[in-house]
This record gives sequence, structure tokens and C-alpha cells, in this order.
Amino acid sequence: MKTHSRLMMFSLTACLAYTLAYYFDWSLFRYYLTSGTIDVAAPATAGPPILWYGWLATAVLAGVTAAIVVPRGFVVRLSPELAWLVPAVALLAALMYEVRWFL
Amino acid sequence: MMTALLILHGLFAVALLGAVTHQALAASVPRNERRARSFFSRFRTTDASAYGTPVVVLFVAVMIMGAVLYPRFRLVVRPLLQDLDLRAANGAFELKEHFSALGVLLLPAYWACWKQPLERSYDGARLWLTWIVALTVWWNFIVGQLLVSIRGLAL
Repeated sequence: MKTHSRLMMFSLTACLAYTLAYYFDWSLFRYYLTSGTIDVAAPATAGPPILWYGWLATAVLAGVTAAIVVPRGFVVRLSPELAWLVPAVALLAALMYEVRWFL
Repeated sequence: MMTALLILHGLFAVALLGAVTHQALAASVPRNERRARSFFSRFRTTDASAYGTPVVVLFVAVMIMGAVLYPRFRLVVRPLLQDLDLRAANGAFELKEHFSALGVLLLPAYWACWKQPLERSYDGARLWLTWIVALTVWWNFIVGQLLVSIRGLAL
């Protein structure tokens, strides 16, 4: 049950953090395609970056932190329905964010 | 090398698609239909809990292969989509990117829901999380196939 609640907390926080990460561009690092380098800053001559790896890293970091820091008593009191509602809302948010490509 | 990885990525995705679809249908079947004799009913009466760990392993494997292939996509396929002004295809891939990330991030919760012994309080979460994982896998598979159809296998 202890592991159970920590895993739930990780997923809930990480899904929320990923959504915020791509919306506000909170990328932990950037991968530069042409040079094949990873950088936290944005060098002027580095070419186009891939942000997706950095967004994922941000989400994982947030998820792990929440799973460790948030007291288990609080997690146990959360409704089990949040386990699917939060990811469902995150998917809908992604759909709404990217709908501009289809208009 | 990248073409071989792309084919392997596709093959693992087929296995994942089969596993998660089977599980989602099995998890949705009402108890009173478990003894039905039709092909479809038998298809749905598989032990859904047996698929939890294999789905997680396959999802992570497909995701890692996709992450390795991603820079090649950005260098080879995306410019082609932009040149051809295929905005919907580009957008479909952007969604595939988000669905993959959200899918892998919800896997710990999904796995916890399917962990034996199954907790009754998580029945609803278990069913919906399984369908969400299935939705992301189906979207990603279809978009992947469409992009391969547009660009071909040569990366």
C-alpha cells in the first residue's frame, strides 16, 4: 500500500508537470540536433533544439520529488478516481493545445 | 541501423497494441457475460490482470526506441512534412509526442492499479487507466504507420 500510494503520487504529479512543462516551456535541458549536444542554456549557433526530452525530465523530477516529499497520509485520502481523471485531463489539454495544427 | 530500429519499434508496438487492447476489453466485460460462448466473448474473458506488467515493459521498450529514433524524425521526416505543407500530419506527431510522454508517466499508477491483490476501491481507476493507455497506444501506432507511409522506411 505504501508503494501503491507513492506510485499514484508520482503519476499524478508527473502528468501535471509535463502539461505545465510544454505549455510554459519548462525544459530541464535541450538537445541540439545538429551538434548532438545537451545544454541547459540556448547557445545562439546551436541550431534547432529538441525540448521533449527536457520536458520529460522535468516531469520525472517533479513526480519523484512529490512521491518522496508528500506525506502518505495525504495521498491515501485522495480519491482513487484522480488516478485516471488527472491523466485524462492532461490528454485533453494536449489535444486542445495541438488543435491549431488541424484548423 | 535506424531502419532496423524503426522496424523493431513497429513490431514491439504491434505486441503492445494487442496486449493492451485485449486487457482493456477483458477489463470491461460484465461478470454475467463471462460464460458466453461467442468468439468475441471468449476474446474478452481473458485474465486482464496478467497483462499489467507486460504492457508496462512493452510500453517502456517502445518508448525508448521511439526516443532514440526521434532526432532522425526531426532531421529527415519533419522537414519533408513542412515542405509538403502537411500540417495535420505534423500535428498528429506532436500529439503522438505528448501521448507517449503522458502514457509513460501514468504507467506507475496503471501498474499499481493492476498489482495483485487487486483493490476494489481502484476498480474504476483500473478500467479507465487501461482505456487511456489503450487510447494513447492506438493513436501512436496509427500516426506512426501514417508517417512511415508518407516518408517510407529509409531514415
